[in-house]
Amino acid sequence: MNLASVKGLARYRALILPTAILTLLVWGAAIVTRVNLATLVDGIPRGVALWRHMFPPAWDAFSELLAPALETVQIAFVGTVFGVLFALVVGFVAAANINSNRIGRETARGLLSAERALPDLITLLLFVAIVGLGPFPGVMAVALSSVGMLGKLFADAIEEVDPRPVEALGAIGATKAQIIRFAVLPQVLPSFIANSMFRFDINIRMSIFLGAVGAGGIGFHLVSAVRLLEYQAALSAIVVVLVLVLACEKLSDIVRTKIFGQAVLR
Amino acid sequence: MRTLRIPTQVHPPVYYERWYRRWFWVGVIFAVVFAWSLASLNINLRLFWEGIPHFLRLLSEMFPPNWAVFTRGRVLWSILEALSMAFLGTFIGAILSFPLALLGAKNITPSPVVRALAKGLMAAERAVPTLIIILLLVVVVGLGPFAGVIAISLGSIGMLGKLFAEAMEDVDPKPLESLTSTGATRLQVIRYAILPQVLPSLVANSLYRFDINLRAALFLGVVGGGGIGFELHMAMNLFRYRDALAITVMTLGVVWLAEAISDRLRRQIIGRELLQ
Amino acid sequence: MLTVKNLAKRLPDGRLLLKDISFSVNKGEFVGILGESGVGKTVLLRCINGLTMPDSGEVMIAGPHVTHRINGNHQELRKIQRHIGMIFQGSILVKRLSALENVLTGRLGWISPLRSLLYGFTDEEVQHALAAMERVGVRHLANRRAETLSGGEMQRVAIARALIQDPYLLLADEPVSNLDPKNTEMVLDCLRPLTQQMAIIGVFHTPQLVSKYCTRAIGIKDGVIIHDGSPHITRHMQEEIYGAEWEEDTARPVAVA
Repeated sequence: MNLASVKGLARYRALILPTAILTLLVWGAAIVTRVNLATLVDGIPRGVALWRHMFPPAWDAFSELLAPALETVQIAFVGTVFGVLFALVVGFVAAANINSNRIGRETARGLLSAERALPDLITLLLFVAIVGLGPFPGVMAVALSSVGMLGKLFADAIEEVDPRPVEALGAIGATKAQIIRFAVLPQVLPSFIANSMFRFDINIRMSIFLGAVGAGGIGFHLVSAVRLLEYQAALSAIVVVLVLVLACEKLSDIVRTKIFGQAVLR
Repeated sequence: MRTLRIPTQVHPPVYYERWYRRWFWVGVIFAVVFAWSLASLNINLRLFWEGIPHFLRLLSEMFPPNWAVFTRGRVLWSILEALSMAFLGTFIGAILSFPLALLGAKNITPSPVVRALAKGLMAAERAVPTLIIILLLVVVVGLGPFAGVIAISLGSIGMLGKLFAEAMEDVDPKPLESLTSTGATRLQVIRYAILPQVLPSLVANSLYRFDINLRAALFLGVVGGGGIGFELHMAMNLFRYRDALAITVMTLGVVWLAEAISDRLRRQIIGRELLQ
Repeated sequence: MLTVKNLAKRLPDGRLLLKDISFSVNKGEFVGILGESGVGKTVLLRCINGLTMPDSGEVMIAGPHVTHRINGNHQELRKIQRHIGMIFQGSILVKRLSALENVLTGRLGWISPLRSLLYGFTDEEVQHALAAMERVGVRHLANRRAETLSGGEMQRVAIARALIQDPYLLLADEPVSNLDPKNTEMVLDCLRPLTQQMAIIGVFHTPQLVSKYCTRAIGIKDGVIIHDGSPHITRHMQEEIYGAEWEEDTARPVAVA
């Protein structure tokens, strides 16, 4: 055994333990999740058959799906608006350069962190327990789940503002509210809008998923169609969902380039 | 008050527009759409107000959490299922994303057509909600966690492919150039020049995706993919609130723990890389 | 107009920075404050307009009718601060607003918060701002975004912002330190005639500028005033202030061998 191959082997020694652990985990996970390649292979002809059942999409279903699609968008929209409003309030409270009260700030940041840890489904079930089924709990779930992320993004943006104009205005007698309006807001508005649009995108997807769980909208129709074996209607619903997602992404892209492209900001 | 326009002889005219004029039309459209949406969704805040005492009563029925629900085995197993689904799904997804990312990276694939196809595929996958993937998979391979694993794998390709490709493009080009100039094949260049540089960030990105996949995995059960969502939903529907609280707390604990571990690992990997 | 009596200020670690500062400034004066880096010139300015509270001593501002004493009370502080304009090194404008809007913000100390938030500025205030901008020669820049202006232009916009406060006193913290000679001259030429309506106190780090533009110089060393009088600082006094030999043509202190 020459020196070169010994040295080569030594380099790999460090990898032995992690590789062994990884293999063990993968193998264990495969057992727990009942990975079965035979099922997968069987699934292929079934997949083909499924595709043949689904295609072409049910053309008459499209007109019926417009209303639920609209509902999904509205849930995401209203939820995002409420979420943004709450996030603005909490965001300002959590920002070090606005709120000199340390306890208040840390509490706000803590609440935002806690909300981010809450899975969406749990918030939905929570609201369903309060107001019953339908789009209303969906809206509230969307709103609540947005506050954590948006609140943090807003607070961070506020804290990253150039502090010198803030101090300059403070030096000549402006009140806190005036300073926020004239020195902080102009700096932070473009990023507020961009972040809100980003969250709206996420909320559209969330709204679709929540619909599947009972909040109404196109998610619900999609799941029903599959459960009732109406595969062509399901394909129609899928097409509508894809169009929705792509349209919202495009919209959010347009708004964001417009904002960073010109002087939005007064 | 209309926009103030001040004509002067020597200087160009000066404009001063007050904020409500600038945002007027945006504001009007926004308000109309908002009001219309509120109305058509039947959002009635009074319902919320009336629901609060109901909710408080619910809360009291939830305490104390019924930890005995875990002795029934099914629940604990569901959590294990969710963890396994997320882990395996992320693992397979990362493996599948790797070649796709290679095809999409500017410094590895010269053909812009191939690159565009690869990136297009990744973007298309990102647009498809995981919900659709899981619903179709359930029809094809049946209910249960296996469908969940496949759904999570496929659902990760878009994001992981993009992140991987970006990591590859950020690589130091000098080792690549020196290796290529000594006559190494494309595969060898990838294996010896790119992989070592990019491995830490691949692992870090996969851990990031694992966090996302864990949350999804927990709830795929509701639509048939295995995981704890089904149990939770059932508990709420059967009014077994104390069970529901126990399940919720345990779920939150698991998520928090897994994310903390994943964060630690990520920081270690990125930290070590920075030190290099 | 401004009276400072026995002002003292400690550093965070407890040492005394400013020990016993006393002086008065009146309308018509352009005072240049000189001293080593870190001696406390900026801290002194900040004590004068209430951004920082001195540990002991008094600051009193007198207008045509009243005398205000600086203390920690917010409401009263606002009433005093609106009479004191301030410009900084590197001029602190809000980058995304236009020059005109930046100048208008100078008036905020005088306007009720409610009105400024809901309505904005009145036409009269806009005219007033434009007149101030005309005085300093930046009116043609009114609708340009602040971030597109040169350093000298931004500083003059900052001066216009201070002007519309109709201040008794204008504080300038190293206003020209990062400007080239031509812009330095433009800005200081702008400042000098303003002494007809107010007192100006400027912190500078080159005695040459003080000598050329100011009516009076105050030198600070070790927390006390060691020179208060003619703006033409003798070489001997410069050595006192900076504690080193002063090279006249390079305008920099040279360490004594």
